[in-house]
Amino acid sequence: MSQEAVVSLRNVTKRIGKTTIIDHLTFDVPKGEIFGFLGPNGAGKTTTIRMMVGLMKITQGEILIKGKSIKSEFEQAISHVGAIVENPEMYKYLSGYRNLVHYARMVPGVTKARIDEVVKLVKLEDRIHDKVKKYSLGMRQRLGVAQAMLHKPSLLILDEPTNGLDPAGIRELRDYLRHLTREEGITVIVSSHLLSEMELMCDRIAILQRGKLIDVKGVEEFVGGNDQAQTYLIEASADALAVADIRAMNGVEDAKAVSEGIEVVTGRDRIPEILAYLIKNDVDVYGARAVRQSLEDRFLEMTGGEGIG
Amino acid sequence: MVNLIANENMKVYRRYRTWVMIGGMIAIVIIASIFDWYYDRKDLTETTWQTEVTADVAHYEKMLADPNMGEDSKDWARDELAISKYRLAHDIAPEDGTMWSGINGAADLIVLITLFTVIIAGDSLAGEFSTGTIKLLLIRPANRLKILIAKYASMIMFGLLLLIILFLISLLVNGILYQFDSTGLPYLTVDSHGIVKEHNMFGHLWQTYLLNGVSTIMFVTLAFMISSAFRSSAMAIGFSIFLLFAGVLMLEIFHPYEWSKYLLFANIDLSQYLDGQPYQEGMTLGFSIAVLAGYYIVFNLVAWLAFTKRDVAA
Ligand SMILES: Nc1ncnc2c1ncn2[C@@H]1O[C@H](COP(=O)(O)OP(=O)(O)O)[C@@H](O)[C@H]1O
Ligand SMILES: [Mg+2]
Repeated sequence: MSQEAVVSLRNVTKRIGKTTIIDHLTFDVPKGEIFGFLGPNGAGKTTTIRMMVGLMKITQGEILIKGKSIKSEFEQAISHVGAIVENPEMYKYLSGYRNLVHYARMVPGVTKARIDEVVKLVKLEDRIHDKVKKYSLGMRQRLGVAQAMLHKPSLLILDEPTNGLDPAGIRELRDYLRHLTREEGITVIVSSHLLSEMELMCDRIAILQRGKLIDVKGVEEFVGGNDQAQTYLIEASADALAVADIRAMNGVEDAKAVSEGIEVVTGRDRIPEILAYLIKNDVDVYGARAVRQSLEDRFLEMTGGEGIG
Repeated sequence: MVNLIANENMKVYRRYRTWVMIGGMIAIVIIASIFDWYYDRKDLTETTWQTEVTADVAHYEKMLADPNMGEDSKDWARDELAISKYRLAHDIAPEDGTMWSGINGAADLIVLITLFTVIIAGDSLAGEFSTGTIKLLLIRPANRLKILIAKYASMIMFGLLLLIILFLISLLVNGILYQFDSTGLPYLTVDSHGIVKEHNMFGHLWQTYLLNGVSTIMFVTLAFMISSAFRSSAMAIGFSIFLLFAGVLMLEIFHPYEWSKYLLFANIDLSQYLDGQPYQEGMTLGFSIAVLAGYYIVFNLVAWLAFTKRDVAA
């Protein structure tokens, strides 16, 4: 990751009293990436984000945003950042619009036109003049995204952004984040304790557990790529003999009969050969697909089975 | 900075409770003024003010002739005598029974302003922590000290606004009640040479109001400090209001001790130097201002350190 890093953490450590909450985190996030921050509750995701936006002091180490230290050049560093930390709490007694005006006044150069643009972006035009106390959780979340985008930040940090969103809302958010990174070159950091969401949303994922970074990997690496052995389900009415034959084939690690057919652990390139064999032997084949090993399985493997959430 | 103050003002004035307070204060001023005016009229005697002032003159002259009188009392009587004689000579009525005494009386309601401003100030910082809005507030390119100053400035402006409203409403209400009688009445003082001077009554009353406003500023600063240090609105408001009312009691209790002159409450009422005895012997206006300045600096320093140096875990 020698590419232009928008965010870099170097040995970031947070101690409160004698407890080490964050322990020597080091990673870079390059421009245009959606970077996931994954870990069970209490892993330290929010604490790390608080340090990135200067709400908490860094006990040890350094955080740079576009090369500016959040410690010593706070105002320059933070002007590149839009964020939601935990819940997007806004002034409930003000309208959504007034809330945006409030934040707009704190950054130079945010025009009224920009406020309207952001409101449209998060689709709050109809309700923007209502008091925030009348908003649903999903609307608050969207207003949260709006305030974070007001000043066109280079880095968007969203702490558990899918909280309170329904599946349609999550899909919308995902598409929106994709759009931001692809079209506008914005870098996004999202945290979540839900693996299934991260898997769909992120380019790379960092796994955090008890304040320690366990691994940073690209999403494909996580779920298994082309040449790696993977589990496939072949829907077929095969007998035990055929299964044994397949297991004996070159490049096949394992094969076993299951209720829907045969489960084979092998590389992708072996599949046509296996199917040809079955058809030649008059086995009825109804379909074949990869059983994706989910992030969840990988996570449980990596963390030694500690539960999520 | 202007933008930050505009933000804080928006958070004060676009809130229902602020207008309830302002409306409540206006109602109280009107009711209190009508009460005062009503009892004032009932006490009205048949005699003219000239007869009363003539009686006063005789009383002061008797005091001055009395060999048992202390020097302080004699000085006071000499000044009052000069003013009374001046009134008779230039046909200037005393303020009693005019709209001016009503407006002067309304200055006692400044304690209400203190109360309301303390409530808003105590909540201004701590409220942002308890609702979590502090997070989105502090992740902007504005340093924490500026945000703190903006909040403080908006609180002082709110107090000042209430003070102006109080003054204008009491002027209006008393004016109507007394039918804008004797509006041109001057305020009389005696200088060190025993010469009587005429002053604008309007200016004099503003002085009284602002002097009383000093205590508002001190209590607001106190509430602001507690708000910043403990991040709890209830604590900031409760503790400040408790001190507002317990202060007088504390002064009674600690009066025998000389160090009590360093207490905040012993100095907070600067009008003690205008018309009356200071709390402890040897206290001067300069002393009180110095003590108040000391408290003021400490309060602000604590508020600043507590706000800028600590982690935000809300
Ligand atoms: N102000 C604090 N004082 C002490 N411990 C804290 C504080 N804030 C967070 N923690 C602890 O730090 C750990 C990480 O918390 P957090 O960052 O909120 O986790 P996450 O966001 O991943 O759920 C938790 O064990 C939590 O108890
Ligand atoms: Mg969290």
